[in-house]
Amino acid sequence: MTVYVYAITDAGHPLRLDDLVGVGDPPSTLRTVAGGGLAAVVSDAPEGLRPKRRDLAAHQGVQERLMSDGAVLPLQFGLTAEDDDAVVRVLEEQAPAYRRRLEALEGAAEYHLKSAWDEDALLREILRESPQARSLNEEIRGGNPDPQLPMALGESIAQEVQARQEALAARVVERLRAHAREERSSAPTGEDFLNVSFLVDSGEREQFVTELRQLADELGQDVELRLRGPLPAYSFV
Amino acid sequence: MTVVPQGGGQPPAPGGSSGNLYDVLELILDRGLVIDAFVRVSLVGIEILKIDARVVVASVDTYLRFAEACNRLDLEADGKQPAKLPDMVGEVTEGGAEGKSKGAISGAVEAVADSVQGRRGGDEEREEESERSHRKGTSRRTSSRRREE
Repeated sequence: MTVYVYAITDAGHPLRLDDLVGVGDPPSTLRTVAGGGLAAVVSDAPEGLRPKRRDLAAHQGVQERLMSDGAVLPLQFGLTAEDDDAVVRVLEEQAPAYRRRLEALEGAAEYHLKSAWDEDALLREILRESPQARSLNEEIRGGNPDPQLPMALGESIAQEVQARQEALAARVVERLRAHAREERSSAPTGEDFLNVSFLVDSGEREQFVTELRQLADELGQDVELRLRGPLPAYSFV
Repeated sequence: MTVVPQGGGQPPAPGGSSGNLYDVLELILDRGLVIDAFVRVSLVGIEILKIDARVVVASVDTYLRFAEACNRLDLEADGKQPAKLPDMVGEVTEGGAEGKSKGAISGAVEAVADSVQGRRGGDEEREEESERSHRKGTSRRTSSRRREE
């Protein structure tokens, strides 16, 4: 029987799962498999599993419950093993590595931060501060039809945008780094210029959030900082 | 700033955490421990996460878009625009606050979130359709945006 695997914890974890359900419709029943001094939370794998809202919620619900009682290695959504024995084999083979990771995550949680800079505000700032961009913009606005001008202006603006976004991203991360055990940046998407996760010790949480709030005050309303957490440490396993 | 504490030390609210899923989809689907010996079930829709990776800044299209944006910009306007939504700041120590991010969430994650929501009915055909239209929607959005500006 194919099993869906949710998470790995130490065998001593309380694993309070009684009132939770697994993925699938009807929802599957959660159970645990032990091996190598570790435990894995699994359920029977439903046929044709897809990332439906209730399935994602079930996966996430397991992680949130487990993290409230101790360290947890959350698996990526959608992983299945051939059967319980295959899970036990992995637990036994990988026990030292998983144990090290669980120790590193003990007492910590992930905080995920994204940031966007209001584009008009950023462009205004650039036109204020860059003489080159400003004079090109004034020429175009003054009616000069040279088609090279918009290209030159756009190129100049693009360079400024990138440089300023990179500088601000570095500044934000630098400020928060002191309150985090680990960090992991990834490519921003959409309008964002920053996409970074921090692993924050429970004792540092307040300082971490306070630091970010101070930073948000300094940056004003043109920069939007969106913080999610505490979360299962998806980015630090 | 939007601070949204959740989970972590608090028992999940009745009804689960699905209200918070939207912002963490990328983490659930794209991160987390991957075990080589295990098989990842085929998950239509996950690819969407990759589509809206940030447009490379150095392109002619980007240059022209920036130039047009500068041209229509009201340079006299006060730099501090009124916030589109009031700031929501939760009490992190109590872990109970919730806030909704502004619309700046990436289009890609949005697309996944929408298609996830759209699947609640479980109608297979409609699901496929919604995925396709989201894909098209993403590229349409980009090009129409260029035209507007």
